[in-house]
Amino acid sequence: MFKKSIYQISLLALLMVSASSCNKYLELKPQNGIIKENFWQTKEQLQSAVIGCYYSLEVNNTSGSSKSPAELFYLWGELRADFIAAGPGIASGEQDIMNTNILPSNAIVNWQPIYRTINYCNFVIDFGPDVINKDKTLTQAQLNAYLGEALALRALMYFYLVRSYGDVPLKLHSTSTDEGLQQLAKSTQADVLKQIVADLKTAEGYCVPSYPTVAADKGRINKFTVDAILADVDLWMDNYADAITACDKVINSGKYALVPGDINSWFTTLYANGNSNEGIFELQFDGGTPNPYFNMFSPTVSKYRFKSDPNIIDNFYTSDLINVNNVDIRGFDVAIHAADQSIYKYVAYGPNSLRTADVSYAHWIFYRYADVLLMKAEACAYSNRGTETLDIINQIRTRAHALPTSASSPDANDQNGLADYILAERAREFADEGKRWYDLLRIAKRNNFAKQQVLITAAAESVQPLYQQSAFSKLQDHNFLYFPVPLNDIQLDPNLVQNPFYK
Amino acid sequence: MAQTTDKILIKGRVIDAKDKLPVIGATISEQDADKRTVSAIATDLDGNFALKISNPAHSLVISIISYKTQTLPIGTRRQFNISLASTTNDLTEVVIKARTQSGNGTGMNIDKRDLTVSNFTLNAADVETLQATTIDQAVQGRLPGVDIVSNSGDPGAGMSIKIRGTSSLNASSNPLIVVDGVPFNTSVPSGFNFATANNTEYADLLAIAPSDIKDISVLKDAAATAVWGSKAANGVLIINTKRGAVGPPTISYTFKGSATQQPGFIPMLTGDQYTTFIPEMVMNVTGAPINTFSFKEFENDPYDVYYYKNYSQNTDWIKAISRTGNNFDNNISVSGGGEKARYFASVGYDSQLGTTIGTGLNRLNTRLNLDYVVSEKIRFSASVAYTHSNTLFDYSSKNDGSGSDNVRSIAAIKMPNASIYEYNEFGLLTNAYLSPAQGAQGQYPAVFNPVAMANAAQNSKLGDRITPHFNINYTISPSFVATTDIQFDINNSKQTRFLPQIATGRPFTETTVNNGAIADADTYSVTTKTNLIFNPNLGEKHSLQTLLSLQSEDDKSLTVGQSVTNTASSSLTDPSAPGRTLSGNLTSDIGQSRDVAAVFTAQYKYLDRYIIAVAAREEGSSVFGSNYRYGLFPSISGRYRLSAEPFMHKLSGWLDDLSLRGSYGVSGSTPDDQYLYYSIYNATGTYLGINGLQPSNIQLNNLRWERVHGLGAGISTVMFKGRLSLDLDYYHNRTVDLLNKNLDIAGYNGFVTLLNNNVGTLQNTGFELNIFSTPYKSKDLNIDFNFNIANNINKLLSISPYYKTTDGDVTQNGKYLHVLQLGNPLGSIYGYKFKGVYKDANATIARDAGGKQILAPDGTPLYMRFNYPQNSYVFQPGDAMYEDINHDGNINAQDVVYLGNGNPKFTGGFGPTFTYKGKFVLSMFLNYRIGGDAINMTKMNTTNESTFNNQSTAVLRRWRNSGDITDIPRALYKTGYNWLGSDRYVEDATYLRLRSVTARYNFPKQMAAKLHAKSMNAYITVENLLTFTHYTGQDPEVGQTSGIFGQVEDNSVTPPLKQYTLGLSITF
Repeated sequence: MFKKSIYQISLLALLMVSASSCNKYLELKPQNGIIKENFWQTKEQLQSAVIGCYYSLEVNNTSGSSKSPAELFYLWGELRADFIAAGPGIASGEQDIMNTNILPSNAIVNWQPIYRTINYCNFVIDFGPDVINKDKTLTQAQLNAYLGEALALRALMYFYLVRSYGDVPLKLHSTSTDEGLQQLAKSTQADVLKQIVADLKTAEGYCVPSYPTVAADKGRINKFTVDAILADVDLWMDNYADAITACDKVINSGKYALVPGDINSWFTTLYANGNSNEGIFELQFDGGTPNPYFNMFSPTVSKYRFKSDPNIIDNFYTSDLINVNNVDIRGFDVAIHAADQSIYKYVAYGPNSLRTADVSYAHWIFYRYADVLLMKAEACAYSNRGTETLDIINQIRTRAHALPTSASSPDANDQNGLADYILAERAREFADEGKRWYDLLRIAKRNNFAKQQVLITAAAESVQPLYQQSAFSKLQDHNFLYFPVPLNDIQLDPNLVQNPFYK
Repeated sequence: MAQTTDKILIKGRVIDAKDKLPVIGATISEQDADKRTVSAIATDLDGNFALKISNPAHSLVISIISYKTQTLPIGTRRQFNISLASTTNDLTEVVIKARTQSGNGTGMNIDKRDLTVSNFTLNAADVETLQATTIDQAVQGRLPGVDIVSNSGDPGAGMSIKIRGTSSLNASSNPLIVVDGVPFNTSVPSGFNFATANNTEYADLLAIAPSDIKDISVLKDAAATAVWGSKAANGVLIINTKRGAVGPPTISYTFKGSATQQPGFIPMLTGDQYTTFIPEMVMNVTGAPINTFSFKEFENDPYDVYYYKNYSQNTDWIKAISRTGNNFDNNISVSGGGEKARYFASVGYDSQLGTTIGTGLNRLNTRLNLDYVVSEKIRFSASVAYTHSNTLFDYSSKNDGSGSDNVRSIAAIKMPNASIYEYNEFGLLTNAYLSPAQGAQGQYPAVFNPVAMANAAQNSKLGDRITPHFNINYTISPSFVATTDIQFDINNSKQTRFLPQIATGRPFTETTVNNGAIADADTYSVTTKTNLIFNPNLGEKHSLQTLLSLQSEDDKSLTVGQSVTNTASSSLTDPSAPGRTLSGNLTSDIGQSRDVAAVFTAQYKYLDRYIIAVAAREEGSSVFGSNYRYGLFPSISGRYRLSAEPFMHKLSGWLDDLSLRGSYGVSGSTPDDQYLYYSIYNATGTYLGINGLQPSNIQLNNLRWERVHGLGAGISTVMFKGRLSLDLDYYHNRTVDLLNKNLDIAGYNGFVTLLNNNVGTLQNTGFELNIFSTPYKSKDLNIDFNFNIANNINKLLSISPYYKTTDGDVTQNGKYLHVLQLGNPLGSIYGYKFKGVYKDANATIARDAGGKQILAPDGTPLYMRFNYPQNSYVFQPGDAMYEDINHDGNINAQDVVYLGNGNPKFTGGFGPTFTYKGKFVLSMFLNYRIGGDAINMTKMNTTNESTFNNQSTAVLRRWRNSGDITDIPRALYKTGYNWLGSDRYVEDATYLRLRSVTARYNFPKQMAAKLHAKSMNAYITVENLLTFTHYTGQDPEVGQTSGIFGQVEDNSVTPPLKQYTLGLSITF
C-alpha cells in the first residue's frame, strides 16, 4: 500500500514538474538570425540596420520575382521617355510600357521593391530612438544622423512613388507584427509630398554634413544630399523660391564642383570610377553586389535589353559636319556607341573598353552637382531670373563642349523658351540616368499642363508606329501619365482604388 | 534469506501425454511470484532434466512449442514426471475465436466490431503483389475516402494523399503516419526546403518495405484522430509492422521483378513539319520572312554545311531520353522465437531504373523487431529500421529534377530539327552533343539539349535513415498496464549536383557553367509516449477501457550547402574543387520544434449494445507564440448495436451485426515553419564595406491552431455469416482558422507575404460506402467482390479580409481567373468560352446581342477588340474566337465565365477476386474518379503557336487561309491572344483505370516440400494496363496544385507507368 502511494505521489510530482516546465520547453529561439528581443541594443546594430536600408536598393527580393529598386529607377525614368530603344533581349513587359500598353499586371509597375526599402527605413525610425536608452555610448547626435538617413531615404522613395503613381498609400510605420497590418487607402499626391517635405526638413537638421571617407560621403545621405532631394521635390511642387534656397545650400557648401570636361578623363572620373567631386549621392555597387545594368546594356551580352534611340545625336547632341572630331562629350561612347547604339554609361570604362560581368559596379547616380545647377536654373527661369538660368546652362554646356548647333537663345523672360532649353539640356546631360520621364512630366504638367506637347513629341520618337495613334490619345488623359496600382495590391486591398484610366 | 545460498536439486522427465515418448528440448524453468525466470534448463534426448532451484516457494514451468505449458508448484516435491499435452487443436480454435482488434495507435486496442468511429484496415496480403516501392502506392484506390494521386512516375517521386478532401490549405495535406504506435515524421521543417525540397522527401519518409507491413489502418473521423491532435487534421494512417511469433524460424523470401514502360507522349511535329511551321508563325506577325541571319536554324542552306546538317534532322527528343525501365526487389525475412524472445528480421534490396535516362533508385531496407518477455508482468521490445537509399534524378532547377526546366519538359518543347550530336563544319557527325550557347529558342535554362543534360549532368541524393524504437510494457495488475515508448529518428541525406558546360553550352563567364553543389540535410527527432491503460473488470455487462498518455516530440534539423561555379574541368564535380566562386555559396540553416501532449481516452460498453468513447488531448507546440501555444482537442463517439437488442434476435439467422455510429471530434494542425512569433533580423551583403541587417519577416503574434471540427455518422452491417459486410459513413468536417502558408499581402507593407496566417473556414461533407462480399462460394471456387465509393464536397464558409478573392490575370495568355466565393467549392475554374477560329475578316466584325453589326459613328463596322482601351489589339482572321458574353464587341474580363471545377464527384475502386481450389487466385482492381475538370496545360503549351517551342501535330490543322474552318488558330509569334485561359483546355478528367491484375498460383504443399519449403507461390501482376477516359492529355490522374487557388493542372509530368511484374515468394 505504501509502495503504491509512493508511485502515485511521484507520478503526480512528475506531472506537475512537466506542466510548469512545459512553457520553457516549448520556447525555442532561432539560431540563425537575430531576434528582435536581441536587436536594437547597440549603436552598431543601429548602423547595420541603416546600411540594410541602402543595401535593399541594390538587390531584388530574395524570392527573386520582383526587380531591384536600382533597376526600377532606370525603367521608370526612361521606359516612357524618348532616349532609349529596345535591344535584342527586351522583355515583353518593357516593350509594353514603351508602347504605352501599360497594364496593372506588368511586373515593372509593381511598387513593392520601393515599399520594401520604405519599410526598412520605418523599422529604423520606429525602433531606432530606443537604442539610446540601451546603449549609453550612443549620442543623441549620432542617433539623429541615423534617423536622418532613414527619413531622407524614405522621403526619396516616396518621391519616386508620387512621380510614378501620383496618389499612393502612405505607410509611415514599420510592418513588424501581424497586428500592425493595415489595409490602407491611397493618400493624395499633395499629402504625400507634404510628408516628404516634412521628413526632409527634419533630416536636414539631423544629417551630418560629411562622412570621413569619400565613398561614404557619396554613398550615404549627408545634409547636402537632403538639400538636393529637397530641391528636386520643391521643383516638382513648383515651389521655385524654396528650390533655389535648397540648391544654393548645396552650391554654397563648397563641397562639390563640376568634373572638368576633358574628353579623355571626364567619363572615367564621373561615371566609370564614380565618387567624383561632382557626385552628391551615388548608390555604390561592389564585387559582392554588382549592379543590375550589365545584362541590361552591355553589348557583350547577346540578349541585352536596351540600346539608345538612334536619333539622339541628331535630335539632341547634333554633330559638327565640318570637323567630326568636334563633339559634345556627352554623346558618342557615353549615351550612344555609334556602331551598335549601345549605351555606355554603365558598362564601359571608356570609348573602347567595356566592363565584364564580374566588375560591373558602375554607380547609380541619384544626384550630382550638374543636376543641382540645372534645377536652380529651372527654378530661376520661373522666378524671373532668366539670366541666371542662361548662365548656368552655359556653364554646363561649356563643360560638355556642347556644339553651337544644339544651342538655343531664348529671351531671359521667355519662361516657355527657357523651359524648352532646360529640358533639352537636361536630356543631353542626364541621358540614361533615369531622369528623362520625370523631367518631361514635370515640365509638361506645370501650369496646368501648359506644355503637354512635350510628352506627345517624346512619344512620337519612342512608340512603335503601330501604337502611336493610341499613345497620343492616351497621353491626353492626365491619369494615364501615372502608373496603375499594381494588380496584386488591388486584389489584396479593397480600400485601394485603381487609377481611373486603368479601371 | 538462507534459501538463496542453499540450492535444491530437482529432477524429472517429460513425456508426450499421447504417445508417451520423451519430449526433447522442453524448457524447464523456475519462476518467482512475478513470473520472472530465476533459472532454467532443457530436457535431454530421453526427456530427462535436472535443475537446481533457489526457492521451493517458486513454481516450475515446463514449456515447449506446440505443447501446452504447465506450471507446477515446487514445495517439497523433488521429482517431477510430467506428461505434456499437444496444443495443435487449441491453436485452430483460437484462430476462429479471435476477433480482429484495431487500434488508433495510442495503445488502446478495441475490438473491430466495437469501434465507434470509421476505421478501415488493409491487410498486407492484399497489396504485397503490387510492385509498389512505397506504401502510399500500395494503398492507392483501396481505401474508401482516401484519394491518392501520384505526383510523377519517376522513381522516388512521391504521391499526394488526401483523406476526405482538402481540409487544409497547408502545403502538406498528407495524413499523419503512425508506425508501431509512434508518429513517424513526414512533415519536414521548412528549413529543409533548400536542400531537399518537396514531395520526394515524402516518398523517402515512407520507405518501409511493403513486405514488412502487417496491416495499415486509416482513421478518418475527427473523433478518431483527435487523440493525435495536431498533424492529424488530414487523417491518420496507422501502420503496423510484422513481429516474431512463437515458433521455429520461418524464412521467407520474396522477389519482384518488373519491366516498366512509359506511355506514349502526344504526337509532336517532326523536324520537317517544324521548319515549315516556325517561319510561317514569324511571318504572320512581321509580314516578312524570318531573318535567317539571326535564326540560322531555319536557314536550310546546303552550302552552310554546319547549320544545314545540324538543323535538318527529325529528332524525337522524348524518345531520345526514354527507355524501358525495370525494377528488382528482393526481400528476405526470418522470424520466430520462443517463450521469452521473439524476433523478426528482414533485409530488402530494391533497384529501379527509371524510364527517363538518368533516373533511378537503389534502396536497402533492414528491420529488426525484437520482443522479450522478461516476466509475465514486464515485456520489452526493440525495433530498429535502417534504410539506405541512393536516388538518381535528372538535373533541373529543383532538387528532385522536377520543374519547368526538367529534362522531359524540355524534350517536349525542344526543336525537332536539331541534331542530338553535333555535325562538324565538314558535315561529319561527331560524338559531342550539340549544345549551342544560344539558339532560336533561347538559352539555358529556357532550353538545352535534353540528351546532354540527362547523360552528362549529375543529381543524386544519398539517404540514410535509422529509427530505433524501444518499448517497455509493465502489467501492474491484470487491469492496469503501463507502457513507455521512445523512438529516435535519424534521417540524413546528401544531395550532390553538378551541371557541366556541355549540358548547357553556356560560356565560362557564367555561373551556371561547371556548377557543383552539395547539400546535406540532417534531421534528428525523439518521440516519446508513456501510456497508462486501466481496464477494470466490471462484470459481464459492463466493460471500460481507459488510457492516459503523455507524449512528446522534439525535432531538430540542420542543413548545410555549398556550391562552386566554373570548376576547371567537367570532371571536377565536387564543390571542394577551386572555382571562380561567388559570395553566398555557403549556406546553412538550423531548426527545431517541440511538441508535448497529454491524452485521455475512455471507452465504455454496456451489454454489448451501447458503446461510448470519449477522448481529450491537450497539446502544446513550440511553433506558436505564447498567446496561442496550447490547444485542446476533445472528442466523443458512440455505437449502438441494434442487432444485439432482444427484439432483433429473430433476424439473427442472417444478420450478424447491425450498428449505428456517431461521432464528434476536434483535431488540429500546426504550421510547418518554426519561429514565426519572432521578428528575425538577417545579415545582408555589405554596403560601403559595412554589413547590413534587415528584418526578414513579419512577427506573427496571432497565429492560432487550425482546427477541424468533425461530425460523423455511420451504419455498419455484417450479414450472411460474414459474406456481406457493408459500411456507410457520412461526415461533416469544418476546418476553422485555416492555416495558409505565405499569404500574399499588399506590396506597400514592404514584405511580400505573411509566412503563415489563419485565413478562413472550410467545410467538407461527404459520404463513403464500402462493401465486402462473397457472392459465390463453393468447395472449389470462391468469388469475392469489394467495392468502395466516396464523395466529397468542399465549401468555403469564410475568408480573411486580407485574402485576395481573385487571382489570375485574364488579360494575359495562358491565365485563368481564380475566384473565391463564399459557399462555393474551391478549385473552380473561370475563363473565356472558346468558339473556334474567325474564318475570315467578315467574321471578326463585332455584333450585338441581336446579331446585328455594331457600327462606328461614321457608319463603318467595328471589329472585335481585345481588352480595349488598355490594349489596342483588333482580332484578325484566323485568331481564336471567344464568346462575347455581353455583346459589346470587346473581349475583356467581363466575358469571363465559370468553366468547371476540379473536384471529382466520386472516387473509389472495386474489384473481384477468384480463388480456385485455394491454389489459383485471380484478382483485379480498378479505380475511378467521376467528374472533376482538369486544365490540360500540356495541350495549351503544345498548341499555343506563340514561341519556337515544338508543338503537337494538332497545329497541322491550323488556320492558314481566309475561309479555313478549323479549331486551331493561326500561328502568331509572341503576340495575339490565341491561347487565353478558356474552356478549350478544360477537360473532364473522369477515368476508370484497371489499376492492377494479378494471377497467383500457390504451389501445393507436396511440391513445396520437395524444395524443403513450407509454402511457395508465384504471381504475375500487370499495373496500369488500361485507362478508360475521354481526357485527351497524357493521363487524367492529375493532382491539385497547392494553395487556396489550387487547381487541377496537367503539366505533362511522367504519367503512371505500365508495369509488368513477376513475383515469387517462398517460406521455409
